[in-house]
Amino acid sequence: MIAEFGHFALITAFILSLAQSVVPLFGAARRNIAMMLVAPAAAISVTLAVILSFSALVWGFITSDFSLALVANHSHSTKPMIYKISGTWGNHEGSLLLWILILVIYGGLMALGGRTMPIALKARILAIQGMVSASFLAFSLFTSNPFQRLSTIPLDGKGLNPILQDPGLAIHPPMLYLGYVGLSMAFAFAVAALITGEVDRMWAKWMRPWVIAAWCALTCGIALGSWWAYYELGWGGWWFWDPVENASLMPWLAATALLHSAIVVEKRGQLKSWTVLLAIMAFSLSLVGTFIVRSGLLTSVHSFASDPARGVFVLMILLFAVGIPLALYAWRGPKLFTTADFTLTSREGALIANNMLLIVATAIVLLGTFYPLGLELVTGARITVGPPYFDATFNPVMAILMMIMAIGPVMAWRRGRTTRLQPVMICALAGGAIACIALLSFEARFGIGPLAALGLIGWLSAGIGADIWLQLRPTKSANFSARLKRLPRDVIGMWVAHFGIVIFMLGAVGDSLFNSEQVVRANPGDVIRIADRNITFTGIQQVQGPNYQAVAAQLEYRDEAGNLFAVLRPEKRIYSAERQTTTEAAIRPTLRGDDYAVLGDGDAQIGYTLRLYYKPLISWIWGGAALMAVGGLVAVFGRQRTVRRQNAAITGVAVSDTHMAAPPLSRGGKG
Amino acid sequence: MSKVRLSFLLPLLAFAVLALFGAIALYSTLLGSRDPAQLPSVLVGKPAPQTTLPRLRQQDHNNENSVTLTEFRGQPLLVNFFASWCAPCRVEAPALEMISKNIAIFGIAYKDRSEDTAEFLQQFGNPFQAIGMDIDGRNGIRWGVYGVPETYLLDRDGVVVLRHAGPITRGIIDNTIMPALEDLGS
Repeated sequence: MIAEFGHFALITAFILSLAQSVVPLFGAARRNIAMMLVAPAAAISVTLAVILSFSALVWGFITSDFSLALVANHSHSTKPMIYKISGTWGNHEGSLLLWILILVIYGGLMALGGRTMPIALKARILAIQGMVSASFLAFSLFTSNPFQRLSTIPLDGKGLNPILQDPGLAIHPPMLYLGYVGLSMAFAFAVAALITGEVDRMWAKWMRPWVIAAWCALTCGIALGSWWAYYELGWGGWWFWDPVENASLMPWLAATALLHSAIVVEKRGQLKSWTVLLAIMAFSLSLVGTFIVRSGLLTSVHSFASDPARGVFVLMILLFAVGIPLALYAWRGPKLFTTADFTLTSREGALIANNMLLIVATAIVLLGTFYPLGLELVTGARITVGPPYFDATFNPVMAILMMIMAIGPVMAWRRGRTTRLQPVMICALAGGAIACIALLSFEARFGIGPLAALGLIGWLSAGIGADIWLQLRPTKSANFSARLKRLPRDVIGMWVAHFGIVIFMLGAVGDSLFNSEQVVRANPGDVIRIADRNITFTGIQQVQGPNYQAVAAQLEYRDEAGNLFAVLRPEKRIYSAERQTTTEAAIRPTLRGDDYAVLGDGDAQIGYTLRLYYKPLISWIWGGAALMAVGGLVAVFGRQRTVRRQNAAITGVAVSDTHMAAPPLSRGGKG
Repeated sequence: MSKVRLSFLLPLLAFAVLALFGAIALYSTLLGSRDPAQLPSVLVGKPAPQTTLPRLRQQDHNNENSVTLTEFRGQPLLVNFFASWCAPCRVEAPALEMISKNIAIFGIAYKDRSEDTAEFLQQFGNPFQAIGMDIDGRNGIRWGVYGVPETYLLDRDGVVVLRHAGPITRGIIDNTIMPALEDLGS
């Protein structure tokens, strides 16, 4: 009964979202306020209906209602409760419903917020959002109904893939979707702007928090996915350039570009048409990211069972969601064209360089992901593109981007220079040189790649450090905390996020340069030596889990002096319901590096295969990603504060010094 | 201004090209002529790896303790990796049954226990001439098995002609396996 109720709520949501996408557009065109006000009301109703529907599905999983085909195929009565719940989105139908849920929640938030926005703009944005929801609600209802009943009810479910029974994976898809779907807000802003043919600075100011929020979630989502691959797949790697990973990286790169170009629109009113195009591209790529792997076009180890019939539907949605806005762009875009009023060596110039590099990087990933498909269609040959391609193409582009990252923020808008440019450049150069010399004196065998990477880390961290010092050091008129208070939160967010990249790079470089690895066949009592630690294999134990049985190896880690500092127990699990074996790596994460152990095949006669790694600094990769997301959050919430403060300040004194060197915002916009 | 206008058309054109490619790929997937599960195998065109495995005892059958690939020389052969614990293997059982009238099939039970394999055969039918037990999966590694089910077509001399990862369906038999078999001239 509850499932039928959920199904009904989903149908209701579909019909309401149709109303949301049509009525407000007419209203906005005819300046009919009543019709425009349908938009927020419908958006909130759709949100409530989808929340009900999703709850009904979760309820089916919690109560193990095996009369639902989805529950019977993807759940099992012996599964721990958290994985029963996360099983809701561990399959195609359920994850699609989660995707829709997040989409309509964004729409609902937009309907509730945005009080200062012109009503026509808000109505148009919500209408576009409604069209996207309607398409995906139709996709769910007509091809992937999650509430399908079974005529014969099985005694127990078929279980969830044990590799998916993992806390990281329980929160990874919601996080990733939060990012993917958040970009739909930027998309709606862009299409609304194309309909009216108007983009002003306020438009960018309203759009930017949504972009940053989506970007933060996407950053966290990708980092979680990589962390999951690191500890669950047991290969010791953290990024595999797999099509699914690439599909999440492309929207991230485009969103990063959008984040930066929107600054130019907001502060200077330039790059309007380019920003609109980026917003469309970012969301298109996130659509590709979510759905291409389900359409049967690409092969991936991560993918759900693909179904070409669904692929047709997805391709139709993509065709409309990307084709129509791009056609609109070809028609209305020229109206947004502005001629550049800045020189190359300006803040705008640096941001354009950032955009170009990020787009080139996106194109590289796109090519690497889809070239095999194209080649196959033309010649019939099947190839796979691997890390060597990406290392040779993606990394140099990112290196140039990092160089600009240190000096871009200290350049002045329009033309000329700030007083900070010279000292920051000197510091960055010195930092890069010191890092290179330090690496060379430590170990001379490294080639140009690692040297460049280390040099960049030094360059960027010294550059950011110098900028922070110059802007915060106590002066005659203001001390440290006074200057900190006066600084816009955007700037602090930017520093944190850019510094996150330094931390991330340290992790990536540390792991690739100093990683030690040993594969041995060992018997109980054997001692293995790796990276200054002696590891004693003391034996094998049987372990009984809630829905699996496992053998665990016991490894005692001792340092040079012979002191025991850790015991690791890598496991091999056998899940009885699925008859599937998984390896559970044992990891001891520390700031200096991770001890990572995997138990392979073997028995008492021939010994056991052990794969042991020491991975210096690897956890910094995820720490860096987290810092980037924190930086984004600081910028979003800081902006809210700044806006409030600006509104409260009747005198209208400029909030900051050089960072707001751009002309003050024109208040009011149109509305 | 016309130059500007043209540059605004570019994204649409680029997208049209990409969409066209996607549509063609999807269309051929739908027709069954292209299958994303058909991964390139380094084995194609090379002799199959030497394979000697413990034989699964079956009633009214050969009583030897082991089975080797060379026993099947002189005729085209399908080598099918399967397991009782794998759901897609159940899906492909009827299709295997169908094609077993045209070609001998050598089954390799991958990481499976003999009791379970026997039960699986009882439940879903036995299209195999002989079954080898690859208990620890080491044989699968030699063949480069990507996952079960996986099927290889060998010619008279034991050279690998074709590899298919994933369950065999009617479409795969008609469009992939039978044409290849006809090329071998049987």
